Amino acid sequence: MKLTIPVLLISFLAVGFLMAAGCSDTKSPVAEAAPDYSDWRLTLKGASEMVFTLDELRNLPSVNGHGYCVSTTGFRFGPYRCKGVDLRVLASMAGGMEPGDTIWISAPDGYLWVFDLDQMEGRGFVTFNEGLAEIPSPPLRIILMYEQDGKPLSYNDGGPARIAIISEEPGVITEGSAWVKWVDRIEIKEKTA
Amino acid sequence: MNRAIVPVILMLIFCTLYSGCSTHPNTGKIPLKVVAAGSLLVPFSELESQYEALNPDIDVQVEGHGSIQAIRQVTDLYRKFDVVAVADESLIPDLMYRPSRETGKNFTDWYVPFARNEMVIAYTEKSLYHTEINETNWPEILAKPDVRVGFSNPMLDAAGYRALMVTMLAGDYYGDQTIFPRVIGNHFDPPLVMENSAQGYTVRLPEVPHPSDQHIVIRDGSIFLLSLLAAGGIDYAFEYRSVAEAQNLSYVNLPPEINLASTDYEDWYAKSHVILGFPRFSSIGQERGGRPIVYAMTVPSDATHPDEGQKFLQFVLGHEKIGERGWPASL
Repeated sequence: MKLTIPVLLISFLAVGFLMAAGCSDTKSPVAEAAPDYSDWRLTLKGASEMVFTLDELRNLPSVNGHGYCVSTTGFRFGPYRCKGVDLRVLASMAGGMEPGDTIWISAPDGYLWVFDLDQMEGRGFVTFNEGLAEIPSPPLRIILMYEQDGKPLSYNDGGPARIAIISEEPGVITEGSAWVKWVDRIEIKEKTA
Repeated sequence: MNRAIVPVILMLIFCTLYSGCSTHPNTGKIPLKVVAAGSLLVPFSELESQYEALNPDIDVQVEGHGSIQAIRQVTDLYRKFDVVAVADESLIPDLMYRPSRETGKNFTDWYVPFARNEMVIAYTEKSLYHTEINETNWPEILAKPDVRVGFSNPMLDAAGYRALMVTMLAGDYYGDQTIFPRVIGNHFDPPLVMENSAQGYTVRLPEVPHPSDQHIVIRDGSIFLLSLLAAGGIDYAFEYRSVAEAQNLSYVNLPPEINLASTDYEDWYAKSHVILGFPRFSSIGQERGGRPIVYAMTVPSDATHPDEGQKFLQFVLGHEKIGERGWPASL
């Protein structure tokens, strides 16, 4: 009987060590500090030019949807619940787009992607199921996402704002090249002759 | 009492050392990070297994991207890689022979060419006219209105703009300048026009190319074209030979004058130019010129494990499988 208490005590300690050992870089359940994006600015240029802070972007009408993308080598990212501003809203604020115009999305790392008016309406994208087999495209929309899975977008995920192509249906995968990270400039270019 | 506690203490030590680590990334091995062109992923996967078997203290981690995007991981995103391996040797001096803002040293000052590849036209037994196609008549087969032809997006993948170059060069080789418009150009809205000048042939892509019918299919990467080929969604795809072989696809060999494989035809290839619709990367321009497909590797100057990177590079250079079926050819 005398042995029971120390044996049990040490056993509890063992279990405690077992749960904690070797996991120093495992994510803590404590919420991560919100990233500081106070210096970030988004330049929106069309017929007029505007500059937004993140708070100002978040105050614009927002939309939600399912986002899921795949790299050119077949690596999938997601699925995510995405929240952001429909790119058409931003285009409209900059003066709108005419047939033949394009919208150029760029980031300070030097990456640029371009959408045309058809794509702004959610058309012309290739879509896949989770097995990466092509499926008919459901209605899609392009957003400037600032919230992913209910949290501010982390820097590694492209925060404070990145492009996402979203659907009301879960499990719809789109090609990831258009999902520009770290967006800081959106510019409408008029159709060239 | 002491004798009873000893096994518990031993259990404690054992559990402390090993618990919670079965899925822990810290295996005690040195992570050797390799960023490689997508067309190298299959062979590098095999190299990874072999290298780790020979070097149990090393964990080779291969990440695949298009070649420019692979280099950008180092030069623009400042990620640490021990080896960079790309499908176009010119990209390393163009994009990496410049100083890093973090170290002040060039990202690298050297590279080693280690393999070459060539463009082929891949198909399956589901492909229309597959019993007829050959090295001579492929332009006529690919121009047939009921045939569907795929290539990867030239904005994203070197194999994509190389498909355009092959088709442009075919006009000269076969003496028929209608090949490019009939196979590719006329199936876009607006049509892609092949300009002919003293510098050679040039195609300017719009910002967002739109195929105008079902004849042409463009996908972001060759992995998606391969799926379509397997499913019968397209009949033919412009691919690298090693990729077609790795997938056990049939393919049409193209003449050396147009397959972008031979350094003997470097000047001939240089006649073909593609101007991309927009500068996707600010670090490199929009124009791509025809040149032989030569793979190259380097160890970035800011690699975390440069010595291990060098050892892996030497392992690749001396590997006997280069040139075998499914692998890029030896130089």
